[in-house]
Amino acid sequence: MKWILFFGDLIGSSICGQEKLFRDQVFRINVRNGDEISKLSQLVNSDNFKLNFWKSPSSFGRPVDVLFPSISLQPVKSFLKSQSLEYLVTVEDLQIYHEIDSIARDFPDLASRVKIGHLFENRSMYVLKFSTGEGRRQLTIWLNSGIHSREWISQATVIWTARKTVSDYGKDPAITSILEKMNIFLLTVANPDGYVYTQTQNRLWRKTQSLNPGSSCVCTDPNRNWNVSFAGEGASDNPCSEVYHGAHASSEVEVKLVVDFIQERGNFKCFINLHSYSQLLMYPCGYMVKKAPDADELNEVARCVAKALASLSGTEYQVCPTCTTVYPASGNSVDWAYDNGIKYAFTFELRDIGHYGFFLPANQIIPTAEETWLGLKTIMEHVRDNLS
Amino acid sequence: MQLRRQPLPAPRPGDPDPAAPLLVLLLLLALQGAAAAPAGPGEPEDSGWRQDAEFPRGLLSQAARAALHFFNFRASSPSALRVLAEVQEGRAWINQKKEYKVDLVFTTELYNPEEGKEHLGKCSARVFFRNEKPRPAINITCTRLIEKKTRQEEDYRLYKYMKQLKNLLDVVSIPDSHGHIDPSLRPIWDLAFLGSSYVMWEKTTQFLHYYMAQLSSVKQWKTNEDAIDFDYTVLLHEFSTQEMIPCHIHLVWYPGKPLKVKYHCQELQTPEEASGTEEGSAVAPTELSNF
Repeated sequence: MKWILFFGDLIGSSICGQEKLFRDQVFRINVRNGDEISKLSQLVNSDNFKLNFWKSPSSFGRPVDVLFPSISLQPVKSFLKSQSLEYLVTVEDLQIYHEIDSIARDFPDLASRVKIGHLFENRSMYVLKFSTGEGRRQLTIWLNSGIHSREWISQATVIWTARKTVSDYGKDPAITSILEKMNIFLLTVANPDGYVYTQTQNRLWRKTQSLNPGSSCVCTDPNRNWNVSFAGEGASDNPCSEVYHGAHASSEVEVKLVVDFIQERGNFKCFINLHSYSQLLMYPCGYMVKKAPDADELNEVARCVAKALASLSGTEYQVCPTCTTVYPASGNSVDWAYDNGIKYAFTFELRDIGHYGFFLPANQIIPTAEETWLGLKTIMEHVRDNLS
Repeated sequence: MQLRRQPLPAPRPGDPDPAAPLLVLLLLLALQGAAAAPAGPGEPEDSGWRQDAEFPRGLLSQAARAALHFFNFRASSPSALRVLAEVQEGRAWINQKKEYKVDLVFTTELYNPEEGKEHLGKCSARVFFRNEKPRPAINITCTRLIEKKTRQEEDYRLYKYMKQLKNLLDVVSIPDSHGHIDPSLRPIWDLAFLGSSYVMWEKTTQFLHYYMAQLSSVKQWKTNEDAIDFDYTVLLHEFSTQEMIPCHIHLVWYPGKPLKVKYHCQELQTPEEASGTEEGSAVAPTELSNF
């Protein structure tokens, strides 16, 4: 069949688990007759494409759900169009949420998926919770990732970290004792709408996907939208700017959901935000007084973190407070966290320092995640040892 | 892939000065007839420089980056591009207009390191930042990283390779979303980076710096004449605004000859101009890049 060969040419090398983060999609396809069912079945059952029926074709007139890996999305869409087949995209962002589900399923005593709300494009926002004990009194760590959607190494690192955490619990003394004293929440994709956009439209998209009334420029920088020194230095009031702070603090649902969740729940001791790139490790500023009261301790912790991280492959991070780096960033999440009593608040800018920038090659995902893990454990151990 | 070392934090102002290379630079300029606050040929006319013991953090890295872009452009050698390894020492002077003069010493690595080969170089530079105005004036000298003959041979080898490349107009987005650059296209990337170095030098200010994020399209690739005639667009990532600046660059390169380059970068849209694109800074011809 010519069209199978056509697809075969376009689909490249196989997908490798953790190595790449594709955006798979589930298409709901209306099949109208036996011929269409037959074509679709041949396509799906072909070994080359690793497709899956989610809801198999039993008879025409009923829709069929098919899972397509992202690498084949474009040719599939073209094919469906050429055959005049109607379809609906029903599930997006499958890969990361699929992995969260898988972790929660595999480790039910430790991990659970918590839905914290809906977003502008009606996607759900999920957090992965690790907890060994009940009781809301247990102190908690929040790990934030992918708030800027183009920083793909951030989402990739946290997904790896999630899997590493559950795998090492009960084996690694450090993470075991951390989890026995504290809960960990991982927000694996803090900006899901933006993340989808980087995979479908614009790889270099940074902001949310909300509309700005009165402007044809869309969206807000979610890391300038927090209620700390809002609309100050390092943010812009121009909706077209990459650092547009938004109409008001927490105007972005991505931010409001997290703020409400953290404030309602309470007991958070640590907030870590992963970004890329520049290889920086930053602690809060204390915008009101220019130097945070805990700056000395946080600086010391950060230096230990950088040392632990570098111990693996020699990757050097620079340590500094957020406001004295190359750029201030008013309204950012880590300063908000500190301002709201979450003492151990850190921002990582992961690899690299400009060679590939946001386009960090896939073969650096695991090395980056492994070294960052050492840094994260250092922070969590310090938090564990300084609970008050 | 060899990891780039992050530049170490700048030495704190007032620290003891082990700066032999810095002294050599200053001596050289003094011998050119400079005064205690040197103002040699090609430097801004303003005097009244006073040493700033508390210069802004990041100023030395900023200066090093600008100096290296200028160096790479002037060297015109896609096989010998350099990147910053670490800043070793530096001093800064400020004048009444709040412009900065920075003297610094830093180490460099090759942009394309070869496995198993150490290619650490050292540079001394003087950089003038004219506050928020771009195009910092640069004096820079670097120790030789590669023998001149080797470099010329390598450039010529790249040139011959590029001369036989065809169908480059189909090239879109290097690297791809996952950071992959096809090895056969790596020389194109390096040549694009060379042209971008000119642009990045000119656009760098005391507050803004750039990285080349992506080669987004090839508009023209002509090799029928002697030189390589390359017309392309890139996205430059601008710090600290986080903007992606599209730039259209047109370069002409022949090994051993100074690079010729023209460019046109797009400016950020303002809300009032949201209906159309605003064309940005104009072509900036100099005697170094006449077209």
